[in-house]
Amino acid sequence: MSDQLIKYIANMQEEEALALTKEMLESGVAPMEILDDCRAAMDIVGNRFENQEYFIPELILAGEILKSITAVVRPHIEGEEEVGEAIPVVVGTVAGDIHDIGKDVVVFMLDINGFEVHDLGVDVPPQVFVDKISETEASVVALSGFLTLSFDAMKETVEAIEAAGLREGVKIMVGGGAVDEGVSDYAAADAYGEDAMAAVSLAKKWTGGNGRG
Amino acid sequence: MDVAKNPLDKGKSKEELLAERQQRINDALQLEKPDRVPLFMPAGYLLAEYGGVTHAEQHHNFDTAQELLEAFALDFEPDSVLGLFNNPGPSLVLGDRMTRWPGKQLPENGSFQFDEHEFMKAEDYDDFLADPSDWAIRTYLPRAFEKLEGFKILPPFIMWSFGHYHLGNLPMYAAPPVRESLEALGEAIQVALQDAANMGESTERMAELGFPPTFLAGALIEAPFDFMSDTLRGMRGIMLDIMRRPEKLLAAEEKALKYELEFAISFCQATGLKRAFIPLHRGSDGFMSLKQFERFYWPQLKEMMVTLVEHDIMPICFYEGVWDQRLEYLADLPKGKTAGWFQRSDIFKVKDVVGDTMCIIGGMRNSLLTNGTVEKVRARTKELCERVGEGGGFIMSTGVGEMEGSDLELVRAWADATREFGTY
Repeated sequence: MSDQLIKYIANMQEEEALALTKEMLESGVAPMEILDDCRAAMDIVGNRFENQEYFIPELILAGEILKSITAVVRPHIEGEEEVGEAIPVVVGTVAGDIHDIGKDVVVFMLDINGFEVHDLGVDVPPQVFVDKISETEASVVALSGFLTLSFDAMKETVEAIEAAGLREGVKIMVGGGAVDEGVSDYAAADAYGEDAMAAVSLAKKWTGGNGRG
Repeated sequence: MDVAKNPLDKGKSKEELLAERQQRINDALQLEKPDRVPLFMPAGYLLAEYGGVTHAEQHHNFDTAQELLEAFALDFEPDSVLGLFNNPGPSLVLGDRMTRWPGKQLPENGSFQFDEHEFMKAEDYDDFLADPSDWAIRTYLPRAFEKLEGFKILPPFIMWSFGHYHLGNLPMYAAPPVRESLEALGEAIQVALQDAANMGESTERMAELGFPPTFLAGALIEAPFDFMSDTLRGMRGIMLDIMRRPEKLLAAEEKALKYELEFAISFCQATGLKRAFIPLHRGSDGFMSLKQFERFYWPQLKEMMVTLVEHDIMPICFYEGVWDQRLEYLADLPKGKTAGWFQRSDIFKVKDVVGDTMCIIGGMRNSLLTNGTVEKVRARTKELCERVGEGGGFIMSTGVGEMEGSDLELVRAWADATREFGTY
């Protein structure tokens, strides 16, 4: 565990973090240990985001730092990474809508909270949600939308999940742009989430605890 | 035959209705108390639904779109009404890579959307700052517009333009790819001219029916930060710029501010229009911290607005998203000289904090018109008229500038209730 590396990442010191990573690898620190430090740093970033010390610029930079470190560390890893059992969540922007900002923040926050996030991207047809839910046996689904047209697309997505016989097994949240509580009712979803933190607490509430099963 | 059906306007002539509606809106914009709360309907694709045509038809057939706008206006009798914000013509001719249109890249009933890209890379800042126009011609246009790719082979713009010694370089413009791009540009200009003519015709026809020109008409500009974000760096790029190259971003915003002001002021002088519409995108709560907002967003936007006001131009901002945490900044603006259309902010808090500063536009939740009830719509309208409308300075509208999917019965209830509860 390197407190220094955690600090560099959490404080957005990109160059220092990368230089230290290389030093650590050269001095024989286990690659998995470095990745654990990254995870710890991301927890701090997530907390600061929740506390409104950090915003989108820091989240995006944190993602970039993580990407560069992983690229340096990955070649040193032998064999498969050990991954704990995480609870699957399916996330996507509904059909007809290509907005991704809010959805990406939700994905980031669910991810660092330990959920196994299946990000379907944008303009996702109802059937793709249905297929992913069956495949992953996810019990939480998050539908994102920015435009007013997403109201109907959300409704159709929930209907498709229902028609596929999967509705009882999942809790569905909606959020984004023009979406509000009224849309959750309209689409027959289970809840509306105001922001990414709300998405995390809904997911935790519905699955009983944190992201790890 | 009566022009207007609603009891308050029955018996009035078209000329009277036009004058009253215009006055009502102007009073509200000047922070004064009109005879009643003006009602603005940004109908958008609701017109297509109303007339049973596709979104593509509404975009591409001016006559159909105009007839629907007229029928809708006469049916619901708002004080101001707007069809679609965006025309596909020039974008489609030039093959721009930043918009998607129904009937083209989208199904016939899809809805227009922006498709953000990082057309300007981080390493382009130095060239942009050195000479934004030359960089635009030779680097940006070929990246952002399929049909302008030919411009990438051009020599620097100054290498023919500064006179006799360099005119020998002009044949570069005869190279087939350049010629094709110039022809596409010429075609786009014609299409844009036709759009402008249509807009003029629409304004005249609406006036003949008693409806004033849209109060949003004027120079369309962006906050300097959004100018760099929306069509140049994209959201991801610009957020990284805040962290990695803040000085360059600030220098670029300074350039954007200078050119945008120069444009808006001369546009308003030339057209006689005295307003600037500024849709705001990345300055709302949640994107950046207040500290970042104070450095990268607000000072440039405020300077833009204050300068416009000094030139007798009213900036009307669309405050997209939620601005609840930064309303105090807005309260600094010159009183009665700007207006704010609020999408999702707490509209009652908006009234408390900036009610003395600017006219407030908005208040009706789009979702309520989609799936509310007549009772709920009436209750919300009453509350808005009483609380946000108190003392004037309020234009009733939906939060989002698009009413697609609204239930017509609820829209009618909203219009009736605005007249019923909004009379001062």
